[in-house]
Amino acid sequence: MRLKFSGSRVLILGGTCELALCLAEYLIKAQLYPVLSCRNKNGRQQIESSLSAFKEKFETVYLDLNDADSIKSIFSQNNQPDYLVDFAQSNLESLIASESSYDINRYFAENISFRAEIIKTAARGMLKKRRGRLIFISSAAALRPNPGQGFYAAAKLASEALYKNLGLEMGSKGITTVSLRPGYINAGRGENFIKQNKKITRAIPVKRAIEPCEVAETILFLLSESARSFNAVEITMDGGMSAGKLIL
Amino acid sequence: MTIFKKIQDLLAELLDVEKNEISPETYIFRDLGAESIDLMELAVAINSEFNISVIDDDIFLRRLREYISENQSIKKKYPFLSDKRIAEIIKDVGKGPNFSEPVLKVKDIADYIKYIMESI
Repeated sequence: MRLKFSGSRVLILGGTCELALCLAEYLIKAQLYPVLSCRNKNGRQQIESSLSAFKEKFETVYLDLNDADSIKSIFSQNNQPDYLVDFAQSNLESLIASESSYDINRYFAENISFRAEIIKTAARGMLKKRRGRLIFISSAAALRPNPGQGFYAAAKLASEALYKNLGLEMGSKGITTVSLRPGYINAGRGENFIKQNKKITRAIPVKRAIEPCEVAETILFLLSESARSFNAVEITMDGGMSAGKLIL
Repeated sequence: MTIFKKIQDLLAELLDVEKNEISPETYIFRDLGAESIDLMELAVAINSEFNISVIDDDIFLRRLREYISENQSIKKKYPFLSDKRIAEIIKDVGKGPNFSEPVLKVKDIADYIKYIMESI
């Protein structure tokens, strides 16, 4: 099956993570144009070196979850994205009762309020073309967090709710949303966790973690015309882990 | 092209109605059957058509009832409305085929745009 796409410009939030870089390659190979966000110079260099084989087939943009002005530059008049894939998530792993008020507030401001601002701006831009697709990369931990993942799960669930309602409200205008909930992935923070907890993959019915490229392929499909009836919904991709009781 | 004519064009296209059904006195909700999502689209279209930054709450008089019930000055909240129009609105609130439908008229939107363009 050959996937078809109705637009070309794909804004990728959290563009420095391994999944985002992997997705960018898939997008370029599918003739789409990824625009990857980063928080600083290092991030930009990381993206550019990782995608050095694809010069001029992608862009980087600056976006800081603490800096509301950075949204404006991304969504300037002539650069409205057709798609948005949202990997952005700052890190806060700690027990609920042990975290400082300052960090709690900052974390939710960055990961929920700021996200709401971004998807609002993106959707308004997409409204002009009467089409747009937004994919939020959530996590299987949204529903089944480990101890220490309470703030993470809360932010993911709240963000899923924002995406769900956006799809509900704007589906009639051609703007649709999906939240994807991957389970343990062999990349980033997940890879470290799997290394430290080797038994964990035994609890997954398929007995293995997810490879980053599998997630990238799935996102590519979700962006395609074939998947356009998936709207305002959360899809779990965890090898069956969340279907049953955990047997370690 | 006048501000009204441009709004008329935008509304006709967005709501799929005939241009001659839209006059300055036309009610956006009561007559044209617009929904809030349509207004969001209209706001975005006005943003680019007139190159101004629109505040949805203001241009569509979204908090009008709240202000009236709190006895707040409508003139202060919506300086683009004339005194005559404010008197008309206060009389009009609660009327119409469906009393809860907003009093917003096409001319209010035009007046907002004119006000913003003059204050730039």
